[in-house]
Amino acid sequence: MTRQKRSHHKLKRAVAPYLYLSPSLLIIGLLMLLPMVTVIAYSFQNSAVLRRDPSFAGLKHYQAIFDDPVFWASLWHTLYFTCMSVIFHMTIGMIFALMLNSDRINPTLRNILRVLYILPWLFTAVIIAVIWRLLLEPNGVVNSILMQIGIIGSKVEWFSSPQTALHAVTFANIWAGYPLFMVSLLAGLQGIPKDFYEAADIDGAKAYQKLIFITIPQLMPIIISISLLDFIWTMQVFPLIWITTGGGPIYATEVLSTYTYKLAFSSYNLSQASASAVVILLISLGLTLFYIRYQKAR
Amino acid sequence: MAEVVLENICKTYGNNFHAIDQLNLSVEDGEFLILVGPSGCGKSTALRMIAGLEDVTSGSLRIGGIDVVDMPPKDRDIAMVFQSYALYPHMTVFENIAFSMRLAGKSKAERKKRVDEIAKTLQLTSLLDSKPANLSGGQRQRVAMGRAMVREPAAFLMDEPLSNLDAKLRVQMRAEITSLQKQLGVTTIYVTHDQTEAMTMGDRVAVLKGGVLQQVDTPKRLYESPVNAFVAGFIGSPSMNLFEATLTGDELTSGALAIRLQDAAFVRRPGLKSYAGRKVVFGIRPEDLYDSNLESGRKYQTIPAKVTSIEELGSEHIVHLNIDAVRVDSGDPDAVQDFGLASNAVARFEPASTVRAGSEIRLALDDAKLHFFDPETHLAI
Repeated sequence: MTRQKRSHHKLKRAVAPYLYLSPSLLIIGLLMLLPMVTVIAYSFQNSAVLRRDPSFAGLKHYQAIFDDPVFWASLWHTLYFTCMSVIFHMTIGMIFALMLNSDRINPTLRNILRVLYILPWLFTAVIIAVIWRLLLEPNGVVNSILMQIGIIGSKVEWFSSPQTALHAVTFANIWAGYPLFMVSLLAGLQGIPKDFYEAADIDGAKAYQKLIFITIPQLMPIIISISLLDFIWTMQVFPLIWITTGGGPIYATEVLSTYTYKLAFSSYNLSQASASAVVILLISLGLTLFYIRYQKAR
Repeated sequence: MAEVVLENICKTYGNNFHAIDQLNLSVEDGEFLILVGPSGCGKSTALRMIAGLEDVTSGSLRIGGIDVVDMPPKDRDIAMVFQSYALYPHMTVFENIAFSMRLAGKSKAERKKRVDEIAKTLQLTSLLDSKPANLSGGQRQRVAMGRAMVREPAAFLMDEPLSNLDAKLRVQMRAEITSLQKQLGVTTIYVTHDQTEAMTMGDRVAVLKGGVLQQVDTPKRLYESPVNAFVAGFIGSPSMNLFEATLTGDELTSGALAIRLQDAAFVRRPGLKSYAGRKVVFGIRPEDLYDSNLESGRKYQTIPAKVTSIEELGSEHIVHLNIDAVRVDSGDPDAVQDFGLASNAVARFEPASTVRAGSEIRLALDDAKLHFFDPETHLAI
């Protein structure tokens, strides 16, 4: 092989991987990076989108949203909604996964439960919102059952009362989201060697000790990964809240996503909406970096 | 320390499969007993029943004089070493060894003292802070031993603890476990499918087949006086050669093969006379067959054989042969691998042997070393 041929071959080998990557890089660039950069640019402009030659606004829009008490309320609601959702997704997912993995439950019943428990996952956010609006209506099933048992004395307007609305949407989101944890933890449980439990039986471990000393440590990588992903996803939930409460009553269920949406498409203040969107982006980015670092550390 | 007694132990699964049938076994205090047999013979099931990890269908099981059939594993005062070691990967070596003490609510100081003692015995002191993933196979094996020792149990149960190690390490660990057992003097029941482990480690060996106990004896007696063709074929490597022949007068004949038996053979086995004129199964170990061209083989009678292949191991030659007789299957599934397609016998020759594959040779045999079995029942005559 001549020197020229050899260097040509080397160049081809060096370029090839980038050629293979180029279609996906192009699509990501067009559909993700470009809009992201544009939104960041909008947040520093006056009357973005609405005017042809918007002027530079500096940090004015950020100042405006940080001065807005509704922004802080929605940030707090987002945190409450997200933290409660993740904690209960994990707890319920774990309990159901342990039940489905137990050989003390009849196998036929186990298969039926497996299908039942996974059902919420099959519904889109819109359907879940409609189901829970119907169930939690003042004249709905939930009120009627709770009144019959005697837990509540009068009909509660779950989604329309500022005291209960945030809890109600959080509850609906918990119901909708636990199957992800359940399925992941079940897969993890099935991967724990039986020997570990038998060795613990011989050593005299009680059921709760096996859970604390074997099951949970063995599932820890899954628990951390799925919790972080769930946190990132739940922070961005929009349709469920929008359809059930629309962020109301009186901002009681306003979260960052509905707050941003309203700024953009109700008030047509696209610059301020962009600033709010950038805040969400930064929080998500922080969590994502944390997730990537955790994955790398493993 | 305690005696372990199994009386009429049976294990039947839901599909009416008898994993263990009427097992009677008595392991003395401080004894090292090996449970051996081919895969699926029920040896691990038997061990797991003693541990309490499997229910006993019927029969009685006593450890240290106490009936433990209905006791949970933790109350049986036993410790088990698993084939996979079952070390907890998220715990350090120290935490793994101390786990049972932690469960029992022992203080930190107590745990440290005891674990340090054991680590010293097992040469694990420098590894106490390591996680199992960072240990070699042999070190993991020692940690598993440590975890069993920490409880000072009445009996050790070991389920093929060396099967995950490479051949060299296995030899070393075999010696380590044996000397440790002698040093501690704890009753030990050790399951293996490897007959070399069985022969070298145990005080006595129990051979199982299809859930039925075949023979319990010292390794030497198992080798020299197997009670049936299965034990004869299973114990010893390569396996004993077993053939069918007709006993005519004082001669065993099969095709072109004729082996004259001396009077001593009939004196040792009075039952053999009744097989006169009938078929009989005879067996001879590979080490009792010789190359007639060598000094060691000259004084014996010879039979014709064809060499099919040779494995030169340096210290000896494993010679695969074909002789004019019908080979008998001992019922050991692992024995099949000893015979190539063209051969039906194996001999162990001295390295000085110059036989070549494909050549016709005279095979010398020591007829005093022949074993005889009933062709129907396969029981020793």
